Amino acid sequence: MEPKAIDWDQLHVIIDKHRYQKWGLIPLLQEVQEVFGYIPPASIEPIARAMKMFPTCIQGVITFYAGFSLKPKGRYVIRVCRGTACHVKGGRSILRMMKKELELEEGETSPDYQFTLETVACLGACFLAPTMMVNKNYYGKLTPPKVISILNQYRKPKPTESSSPAKEADDGR
Amino acid sequence: MESIVLTINGKKISCQEGTSVFEAAAKNGIHIPSLCYHPDLKPYGACRLCLVEDEKTGRLFASCVTPAARDMVIQTDTPRVLDHRRNIIRLMMAEHPESCIVCNKGNRCQLRRIAADLGVGENDLYPMPNYRSFEQLNPFIVRDLSKCILCGKCIRADHELVCTGAIDYNLRGFRSRPATAHETPLEHSNCTFCGTCVSICPTGALSPKNAWYAGTPERQASSICGFCGIGCALDIGISGNKIVEINPADLEETVNRATLCVRGHFAHDFLNSPDRLTAPMVKSTGENEEPAFNEASWDEAVEHVISRLSDIKRTYGPQSIAFIGSTKCSIEENYLFQKIGRAIFQSENIINMASQNSGAQLMALDQKTGGSCRVNRLSDLEKAPAIVVLGPDPDHAAPVLGYHIKRAAKKGATLIVIDPLPNDLSLFAGQWIRPELSKNPNFSLTSLINGIAAELVARNGHATEFIENHTLDGNAYTEGLNAQDPEAIAGLAAVTREDLKTAASLLEGKKTAFVVGHTAGQSISEAGFNALFNLSLLTGSQGGKGTGIYLMTEAGNGMGAFDMGVSPDRLPGRHAISDESGRIPLEKAWKTKISPDPGLSMLRLIEAAENGTLKAVYIMGENPLRKLPQPRRVKNALKKLDFMVVQDILCNQTVKLADVILPGAAFTEKAGAFTNMEGRIQNFAPIVSPPGQALPDWEILALLASKMGYPEKYTTIEQVKQEIRRLVPMHADLGSHRQGWLKNNGLESGFRFNFSPVDIPGPEPAPPDPNFPYTGIIRGLRYHLGCGTRTSRSERIQSFQLRGQIEISPEDSQRLDLSEADRLRLTSPFGQIERGFRINTDMTVGQIFIPLAYNQNDAMNLVDLCESPTSGAPGWMVCRVKIEKNETSGEMP
Ligand code: SF4
Ligand code: SF4
Ligand code: SF4
Ligand code: FES
Ligand code: FES
Repeated sequence: MEPKAIDWDQLHVIIDKHRYQKWGLIPLLQEVQEVFGYIPPASIEPIARAMKMFPTCIQGVITFYAGFSLKPKGRYVIRVCRGTACHVKGGRSILRMMKKELELEEGETSPDYQFTLETVACLGACFLAPTMMVNKNYYGKLTPPKVISILNQYRKPKPTESSSPAKEADDGR
Repeated sequence: MESIVLTINGKKISCQEGTSVFEAAAKNGIHIPSLCYHPDLKPYGACRLCLVEDEKTGRLFASCVTPAARDMVIQTDTPRVLDHRRNIIRLMMAEHPESCIVCNKGNRCQLRRIAADLGVGENDLYPMPNYRSFEQLNPFIVRDLSKCILCGKCIRADHELVCTGAIDYNLRGFRSRPATAHETPLEHSNCTFCGTCVSICPTGALSPKNAWYAGTPERQASSICGFCGIGCALDIGISGNKIVEINPADLEETVNRATLCVRGHFAHDFLNSPDRLTAPMVKSTGENEEPAFNEASWDEAVEHVISRLSDIKRTYGPQSIAFIGSTKCSIEENYLFQKIGRAIFQSENIINMASQNSGAQLMALDQKTGGSCRVNRLSDLEKAPAIVVLGPDPDHAAPVLGYHIKRAAKKGATLIVIDPLPNDLSLFAGQWIRPELSKNPNFSLTSLINGIAAELVARNGHATEFIENHTLDGNAYTEGLNAQDPEAIAGLAAVTREDLKTAASLLEGKKTAFVVGHTAGQSISEAGFNALFNLSLLTGSQGGKGTGIYLMTEAGNGMGAFDMGVSPDRLPGRHAISDESGRIPLEKAWKTKISPDPGLSMLRLIEAAENGTLKAVYIMGENPLRKLPQPRRVKNALKKLDFMVVQDILCNQTVKLADVILPGAAFTEKAGAFTNMEGRIQNFAPIVSPPGQALPDWEILALLASKMGYPEKYTTIEQVKQEIRRLVPMHADLGSHRQGWLKNNGLESGFRFNFSPVDIPGPEPAPPDPNFPYTGIIRGLRYHLGCGTRTSRSERIQSFQLRGQIEISPEDSQRLDLSEADRLRLTSPFGQIERGFRINTDMTVGQIFIPLAYNQNDAMNLVDLCESPTSGAPGWMVCRVKIEKNETSGEMP
């Protein structure tokens, strides 16, 4: 499966919204990231032209912040915490298990763009260690069975099942 | 600003408020090691090597980013400071690959030097080399980012000095490195290969690629770039008698400071070309045999030249001989050359090949300003409130001028770019006016300029006070503008009226610098130049610093060649030949009569050769066969001559036609001076010796003059300089010091500038020929200078990916159904060439760009050798063409 084609009209709407704004670049990039799920590399040049900046500077900003990505990401971005508290509580085996379950290495996206696996240095919820995030949802006090059940909520529904995984996810907490 | 007193290493030092501790120390001869500081770049504080200690607080801080404060007491070399510095270097070395011995950077590596100074030898830290991409596919720059210490100098030079933006930091932390957009190799980025980052990089991370020589220069010497009219100061690395490396000179007050361009940095390998001429040659004239060149002694060769030229003069008269001088030869050489032509041979036909474009404009400006605007410093340009660029893209034609304009725009100057082609300055421009030449083949730049002027007057935005106090005829002029039909004008200018209004609103109330390029000669006629001068008065821009008109000259000594009278209608000192006040003093000094009639223009000269009235030509340092339109016609014309002498440094098409070849010396092999486009006179000295028996051109000319029995003997270059200083007051500064300036005439009190009457070109309804539906615009790219005689002898330039591909819009490419490997045949009413192509999304439909200088500069086949009757400026850079796929080439089975 290919990631969605870039909707240039939508991109230009976003650019026009921020181009005359003071310090507009970061909000602009945030919105592109939000709307497209990533910052399409082909958008760097038009953004640069509009902001009257060098494309390399735009790229520098994008690659500096972990919140921006030049690669399309999965529908669900899983961030497993590799911070100290989580490490002590077994974060490493949670990651190992996640890799095995999703057949992904760190930073990779599944071919069907369902999942992206990432690690972070600390999610700021150490009291719940070991922790992870799926998109904007936090999960704590993880155990192997819990991980499996969380993952199952986000896996693509088999053709026979009809319920939405997101809805299930909300119910599951 | 207040001055501050502080103590550094026990020495009381005073400096201006705002000076950094580092700079305060440096100004007082106290050296602090540094890797990321550069005087032309904003302080950055990346390397921490410039640590110093504050005695009062015991604090350590980076001196390059700390402003000096009152009563500070600083120590720069305490054991504690040295210890920290050593640790920083140890850490850097631990991350560095162990390749110092084979590193291209050689002795220019500052990291290695500082390590040695601090006594950091064997590294005791665990080595953790951070291997990174190694890139060397392009012919100019090797990038080995494992040697990068993240000082950021390359990036800052790229952004702050040359304003290209090809690289910036990517990623962060340990993985951070300078990168191009999308991390492509440099040759696929917008990098111009100016090499500024290479010269400024303190380590071997960026180094020049020397396919033609590997090794370290044995000695350094300074010189002046011999390519374009900027005249950059160079620091040249020499090994044996060979030039092996070039960097910007580290001298005060140079035009280029820390920057260069790809030609200056990398194309000087033509100096070592195997095609250099090394011995005088005389063509054998035996009957029934193929003509052959025989080596001759200097005496034989020069005597042969004298006897043949004297015979021809005796038989056919002095006007049967012409002298073509050179914008690549020095001031002194051009002076001697025209003197030989005028005083010894009494010929009127003295010319250099740029006479008709930049020359005409230069002389017109001098006359209109009473000689008060001969010096226009580029550093002042950065202070101009507004800049209008007309003609070629300075970022290509004269890159250092482009850098100045971009820096000015970044500082807030309003920039208007008038250019039908995509232009590297447009990212910085407040307005890019793109005349669509394809829509109006009768495009008139005069109308465009008049249009802006008219809108400026219509909105009452002109400098009324300036006009009242400093000009004549202002009212007549503004009334003339008001009488025009604005829509018609916009039509002739091939732009919209809105464009003209926007330009007027941007220029309102701003003194403006107008930067005019030489290939604007394509359409800037005398009328166009008058209109531009009028606009400069209307905006109150004349007489100010950094405002007024900046004229680009194409070649290194373009200005100097004119000023020395290598022109059919001007004598040394820019005197019109018809003007007695300039002619008579020269006649007295040279003890001869000078004809008041102008000599042949380039076109008339070729015609005279064709019809047999011109019998002989003496060419010094020019290649008309490659430079002029219609090379075949030019060749046939020159072949008809009875006698042709060519004095040059490289064997080229023109040299092959000569009867006598005199090998001259390149600028690195002789003494002399060039005048750059600013009016800066720069001396250079011989730093290597000429190849074989070649001689400095002025010595050849001196030999000729002396053998002709001319009483003045020139045995030193100083004698020539002295004569010029005496006879040409504007060159009084031509001495032995590194640089001087042309003398401006002081204006008499009450001097007023004149407006020229508004000239509205009548619409000549010449409908475009449907057989030639495309408008081709021919101009140069930064990789070559002019017609490329010298730059094409640079191996590195030749092996670069550009092969003269034309550029075309995606729409036209689709319409022609082009696919990538297609070769195209371009046909104009005058000739045909074959080229590959590149699609450029910034090209306008119906318009194509044809780069000069490639394939023996065959683009000149497409234009006519002509002289436009009203302006005397050749109209040879725009052509109408048809484009076909060349099915026959490629020999497909
Ligand atoms: S490449 Fe050279 S100049 Fe650029 S950051 Fe690295 S060390 Fe500094
Ligand atoms: S060579 Fe010039 S344009 Fe290219 S990266 Fe270096 S400074 Fe920038
Ligand atoms: S070609 Fe011109 S801009 Fe380039 S280095 Fe030489 S003088 Fe400077
Ligand atoms: S260490 Fe994992 S949430 Fe802080
Ligand atoms: S020179 Fe001061 S931090 Fe590099």
